[in-house]
Amino acid sequence: MTPRTALLLGVIVAMAALPAIAQVDTGSVDFTRYASMGDSLAAGFSSGGLHIEGQVLSFPSLISSQTRGTAAFEQPLVSAPGIPNILSLQSLSPLIIAPQPGQAGPLNLGLQRPYDNMAVPGARVGDVVRTRGGGLHDLILRGLGTQLELVASQQPTFVSLFIGNNDVLGAATSGIVIDGVTLTSAAQFEGDLRTIAGTLAAVGVQGTAIATIPSVVSIPYVTTIPPVLVNPATNEPVVINGQLVPLIGPNGPLGPGDHVLLPASAELARGLGIPAALGGTGQPLSDASVLSAGETAEIEARREELNAVIRAVAGETGAALVDIARIFDQVVQRGILQGGILLTSDFLTGGLFSYDGVHASPIGYAIIANAFIDAINATYGGNIPAVTMAPFLLGDLGRLPGTSSVGTLAVGSSFIFTAEAYENLRVALNIPKTKKLLRIKNRRARRQAAAVAVGSDDELDTRSSRRSLRRQRRELRRALRLR
Amino acid sequence: MPGRKVSLKLVCACCLMATLAGAPLMAAGFSLLFEQGAKAMGLAGAYTATADDPSAMYYNVGGLAFLKEREFMAGFTLVTSSGSDFTGAAPFPGEGVTEKLESLSEVPPHFYWVEPINDRWTFGLALNSPFGLVTEWDPADFSGRFITTKGSLTTLDLSANLGWQATNRLGVGFGAILRMAEVELNRYQGAINPFTGQIADIADVTLKSDLDNTTGWHAGFLHRVNNSFSWGFNYRSEAQMDFNGDARFRQIPTGYPQFDALVATELPFGAALPISTTIEYPASWSLGAAAALSRNWRVEVDYNWTGWDSFQEVEVDFKGALPNTVISQKWDDANNYRIGFRWLGSSSSEWRFGYVFDETPQPDETIGPLLPDADRDGFTVGYGRKGNGFTLDLALMYLLFDDRTTLVNESGYNGTWKTEGLLFATSLSW
Repeated sequence: MTPRTALLLGVIVAMAALPAIAQVDTGSVDFTRYASMGDSLAAGFSSGGLHIEGQVLSFPSLISSQTRGTAAFEQPLVSAPGIPNILSLQSLSPLIIAPQPGQAGPLNLGLQRPYDNMAVPGARVGDVVRTRGGGLHDLILRGLGTQLELVASQQPTFVSLFIGNNDVLGAATSGIVIDGVTLTSAAQFEGDLRTIAGTLAAVGVQGTAIATIPSVVSIPYVTTIPPVLVNPATNEPVVINGQLVPLIGPNGPLGPGDHVLLPASAELARGLGIPAALGGTGQPLSDASVLSAGETAEIEARREELNAVIRAVAGETGAALVDIARIFDQVVQRGILQGGILLTSDFLTGGLFSYDGVHASPIGYAIIANAFIDAINATYGGNIPAVTMAPFLLGDLGRLPGTSSVGTLAVGSSFIFTAEAYENLRVALNIPKTKKLLRIKNRRARRQAAAVAVGSDDELDTRSSRRSLRRQRRELRRALRLR
Repeated sequence: MPGRKVSLKLVCACCLMATLAGAPLMAAGFSLLFEQGAKAMGLAGAYTATADDPSAMYYNVGGLAFLKEREFMAGFTLVTSSGSDFTGAAPFPGEGVTEKLESLSEVPPHFYWVEPINDRWTFGLALNSPFGLVTEWDPADFSGRFITTKGSLTTLDLSANLGWQATNRLGVGFGAILRMAEVELNRYQGAINPFTGQIADIADVTLKSDLDNTTGWHAGFLHRVNNSFSWGFNYRSEAQMDFNGDARFRQIPTGYPQFDALVATELPFGAALPISTTIEYPASWSLGAAAALSRNWRVEVDYNWTGWDSFQEVEVDFKGALPNTVISQKWDDANNYRIGFRWLGSSSSEWRFGYVFDETPQPDETIGPLLPDADRDGFTVGYGRKGNGFTLDLALMYLLFDDRTTLVNESGYNGTWKTEGLLFATSLSW
């Protein structure tokens, strides 16, 4: 354990001591046995990895501190530099974000019961119900069952659930939208979410908090690089004849509604996507580096559908609805002002996101924890104190996990989110390899074109779609095995 | 005219004092309602229907009509505050965080000159400081340093007044006001250090105006219905002050050279950037009635309204060099209610007692370290003594502010404020 980790743990214990002494009023719910379910956002995943310094500040850990004081909240802690290796800012010029070197290991593997925080990075709602192993599931579930089974076996009194992000996130981060593959259907999502709610009710869980899915196309991973050419010397858009110069995407010049994803930085550094007349290669950016306006709309529409399901299930079960989607929309529109500091969704300088551009920083997770606490208080009539933000904003708790190295180069604006950084993130988020996704996407496109050419009828469509679905599932299983 | 020479010197001296003296917040908002004369302070400002000394030029210029002898009044108010105590609330800065406003000790002066013209008309000149504000925090480890480290507004009014005794019992007055002021707003600038994800102090920002001026007016009447009852009314106009000045940024090294270099490209360190801003001074009016309760006891009750609704925001214009900064205020109109008792011990001395309830115009959304205002109760005691050709007035005022808690501060700075203050005023008339 590094001195900084020890310090963090000490501060957490000190923070937790106050509620313990004060006998926190949790309203009509009991936090004696509190369990967390979900995905990377509930696991405390930050800067592309699970790392003890991020995990001890995960929002479930903070909720536990505020409600249960110093009572142990067991998590599958991972030593530095994290699994996968967490990212760090290696230089501001050129701006390089890459994984830290080293080999991490689990710190709490011998716990004789399931963890209190069972959230698995990369998990979709279906994984909570059905997945027992593979990837980070092995680290967290330890082959003992699914997330849902393990949580139910503990008969918790309170459960927080933050799931669904990966049911739409894969499409955004891979730049490839395939319904049923990178986007989960609303029907499947609803079925699985109701299974979770029903199981929790059956084992006597007193209270539940369920979060909505924030926009995955407003995160820095998607929004940081503009779809137009930027002059690296001035960091201002290049204007020729009064017009901005669009980057070249897989289908031609990008439009204002298209998004260029963070890993495209490496392609741009090689001249891809930049017109030859302006110093580039004239070759387009890859499909995986671009999220078109149409794809963006498709992802957002699905997210709205899934959020409607979450709201409905929360309403029917009496769960506290934590509207992270609404809060994040406010962050994107105007930021959050705390102590005169404006926190925004900007990459590197906004304060709310970590180096992967997808996951929250410790400050961001503390704000998520407070959103949960607000909703729990409102629903169950409690008076759980909010997490004190001063140590995050002005003290050491706000420091991103593993940040100790200092860049040494001069200031400039070249930008590289390294391929290795992307690969680590892809694996952690359970996103199939790009080639795999493109193969599926192209096959589907060819099939649709052929159907149009021969004049499809309903029966043909149905058979074709069933075959396609079976094929997709095979492809996806193969892709997941390849992780 | 030796007397005239002396008075001009006094005017100049008082003007200098007033310009140098910061005026702290001791009436709601940034008004200085009670610091304009010791006699009025002893009555908790319940003086609109009495206004029988030169400070009538502030409390009710109609009273000037009844002053029939050349008279000078000079005095000051010593304002002491142990500082505001702040206890944080979640989310920011959070429970367990405490802060303390720097203790204040300020001395706003007042000076009045009454010069009867004939048995109907009286001229008066006043120099006083009717508005002011000073809040200052030690920036080291102050959790609100990105909002403010110092706020200062110093205001000096020079007014020329005319009183006209319309009848034996009705006095009417009018005054033209030249208002001079300067403002200073300092804070730290913070930014996310991309190497750590933490907020870093990157600059000490000082915004300071020149001494600017504007004009306003006031008018009032005092009706002495009989020897036992009087009533009066005074109105003071609003005034818009346009300030011009400089902004200066001093870089604070973060220990991360690359980050510091990046910051240096974004902020104009070392330069004096021209800035401008506008502050709306509110209109106000007071209505009072005074009555004799017995041979020795007199009472006055006053109602005062101040149009703080005009103070919605302070926008600092950086003339295109940087984005404008808007400091939201969103104040509401405010009232205060005063009652004062006079006990006439003899023809040469009297004791005064008063109470005022003073509403704050500041909503929960904008109460913060720049101005932690609150409703307050003021208790006063005063004493006046007439001697051979002079009058000495003394007054003591204790202000007890309501504890004020905000959980909705727009700058994200929540907690509870506790403030109290003590004022001592003395005025010498001759």
